[in-house]
Amino acid sequence: MSGREVLLVGLSHKSAPIAVRERVALSGDALKEALGGLRGLDGVEEAMVVSTCNRVEVYVVGQSLDSARRFFLDRSGEASEHLYQKQGPEAVRHLFRVAASLDSMVVGEQQILGQVKEAYGLASAAGTAGPVLSRLCNRAFGAAKRVRSETEIGRGASSVSQVAVELVQKIFGDLRGRVILLVGAGKMGALSAKALRDLGADRVLVTNRSAERGQALAEQVGGQAEPWERLVSLLALADVVLVSTGAPSYVLTRDLAGQVMKLRRGRSICFIDVAVPRNVDPACADLANVYAYDIDDLQKVVHQTRQMRAEEAIRAEVIVEAEVGAFAREREARAALPVLASLRRRAEAIARTEVERTLAHVGGRLDEKARRSVEAMALAIVNKLLHGPTARLKQAASSGDTTLPGAAAELFDIDSEQPSRREEPGGEAVTLREPKG
Amino acid sequence: MSIQILRIAALCYAGAAASYLVFFARPRHLRAASAGQVVLSVAFLVHAVAIGVGCSEYGGREFFSLRGGLAFIAFLVAGAYLVLQRFYRVPAVGAFVTPLIVVVLLPALFGTPGHPEVVPETVRRPTLTLHIVSALGGVAVFGIAALVALMYLLQEREVKGKHFGALFSRLPSLDSLDQLTQRLVRAGLLVFSVALVTGALVARGVWKSAWEWDPQQVSSLVVWLLYFALVSLRHTGWHGRRYAWITLAGFLLVIGSMVSLGSIPGATRHGGTYQ
Repeated sequence: MSGREVLLVGLSHKSAPIAVRERVALSGDALKEALGGLRGLDGVEEAMVVSTCNRVEVYVVGQSLDSARRFFLDRSGEASEHLYQKQGPEAVRHLFRVAASLDSMVVGEQQILGQVKEAYGLASAAGTAGPVLSRLCNRAFGAAKRVRSETEIGRGASSVSQVAVELVQKIFGDLRGRVILLVGAGKMGALSAKALRDLGADRVLVTNRSAERGQALAEQVGGQAEPWERLVSLLALADVVLVSTGAPSYVLTRDLAGQVMKLRRGRSICFIDVAVPRNVDPACADLANVYAYDIDDLQKVVHQTRQMRAEEAIRAEVIVEAEVGAFAREREARAALPVLASLRRRAEAIARTEVERTLAHVGGRLDEKARRSVEAMALAIVNKLLHGPTARLKQAASSGDTTLPGAAAELFDIDSEQPSRREEPGGEAVTLREPKG
Repeated sequence: MSIQILRIAALCYAGAAASYLVFFARPRHLRAASAGQVVLSVAFLVHAVAIGVGCSEYGGREFFSLRGGLAFIAFLVAGAYLVLQRFYRVPAVGAFVTPLIVVVLLPALFGTPGHPEVVPETVRRPTLTLHIVSALGGVAVFGIAALVALMYLLQEREVKGKHFGALFSRLPSLDSLDQLTQRLVRAGLLVFSVALVTGALVARGVWKSAWEWDPQQVSSLVVWLLYFALVSLRHTGWHGRRYAWITLAGFLLVIGSMVSLGSIPGATRHGGTYQ
């Protein structure tokens, strides 16, 4: 078992600029091909590639980092100065932190776990994920799940448009049947409108001073363009109004809002002003059932979320550390298991043969009870003899000593079979469910 | 005997309140909410037993006193919430309802059950039972409506004031709270109307006149008119904050008049003294 380690070479948003990341990033067929190429290399037993827009990481089980490094250098010569490499527990910890979204650009974001799962799925399909990577990934997913359920790292809105969506949900709850009005052709407004549409808002109306741009934007967000002159009646219709025009002053004044509220018979309305300078008079919020937010309000929430997540990340690190330790212990205990099992099997086989031979000679003169006593005695001798070595081997395994199992194997002439059932993913799953140590 | 059972029920209600509050403090523990519901159901059943035993002990006379009425309101609030929970999944409301039940039940737990010595034979009729149940039931539903309105006001303050604190993530959306308030007010008005009609019938039987300008009658009519106005105004654009405030004020008026008329001797001929 010695010599085979989990190794990692990679680069991420922390170490490399996007210009380098995009050159080495891979997806789909190119990724499958790369996995195939990695497997063919010397000293690589298992391999997995995690490739997202923020990171490209190659995980390898084998003896040297060279092949993984070559993976990057073949794609971009500039990569070398941005690469980080880790091995053994360091590499394990890194994968656990990545999966738990502790290494993400936006800490606590949800997508990364899915992306790591996808990477593992691809490696499985390509046959490059063997027993070690399988156990590693499963443990990493478990750790990520624990982090998500035991800390609040995934809570809160972490981007401006997410905050807008959350606010709208707090006011209106279900968005089905609601109408979104986009006033002006700013980019932020379009982004939020799309997010709201995805949540089930029925109609998106778009109005802009220049009709052509309004039409173009309406097509982009899947909405319906309306003439600027109808602004008041559109406001009477819409539930959420996203404002992002380039106007230097208030487009929605308090008077206009008051007029609109009369037309609406007091139904709630939410103004989200993402324009700078502001387009919605903050005094609108004084009116009953009018909710008005500007970009500062939204950004303040984003800031709070980041702060809260940073605090939660400390608790998450503790969980990750515990899982890394558990993985290491499990792996070490597993290393000693084959030797122990073979030793015991061999000894019991010898005892059984000797019992049979003895009974063949004298068995006729013994009654059933005496026969059983002979069998029991033989097994007891085996157990007593093996008790010390078993305990010591287990202890050596849990303290990370791999020389003693090797010595035992040599002394008793046992082939310590390595779990190399790579061809069958189903068989691997069974191994995973075995009880620990 | 019935008072001991009632105390057990109160303990269960307190347990349910604790579970719901744990859920409210840590919304990730959904199990606390489920536990709260189970314990609340148990409390409701125990309370039903207490009422049954009480009826066989005192022949239903305790419901003519303020404390009996309060205990029965607590029972009906629990029942109404359990029914509500079947249609709307709003465990957060439980964190408001269950403590209210405990508070309302508190005065009924101590001392000996006081009740009018004699219930005149003239009042003993099915209309009276229906009157008591519907009156207290209406108050119970108004009570839950007031709590939901309170939740609306708390939530609205956070959403509008751009202060997204602890309540923000725990309470349902403003729109759903507003709608729930409206539906509860409508249901409460319906039940309360039954109480008004049956009350008039009983009064005609006992006082020989359906309307006597008794303070209890007047205050009940005011309450009914207030909620009726609330239901009608909805169609002309009364939403949100104002609606919630009036719902809350209406319930305070109900409880205020009930407690004051019940505790000032001789203020009303309703309930107890039928001369």
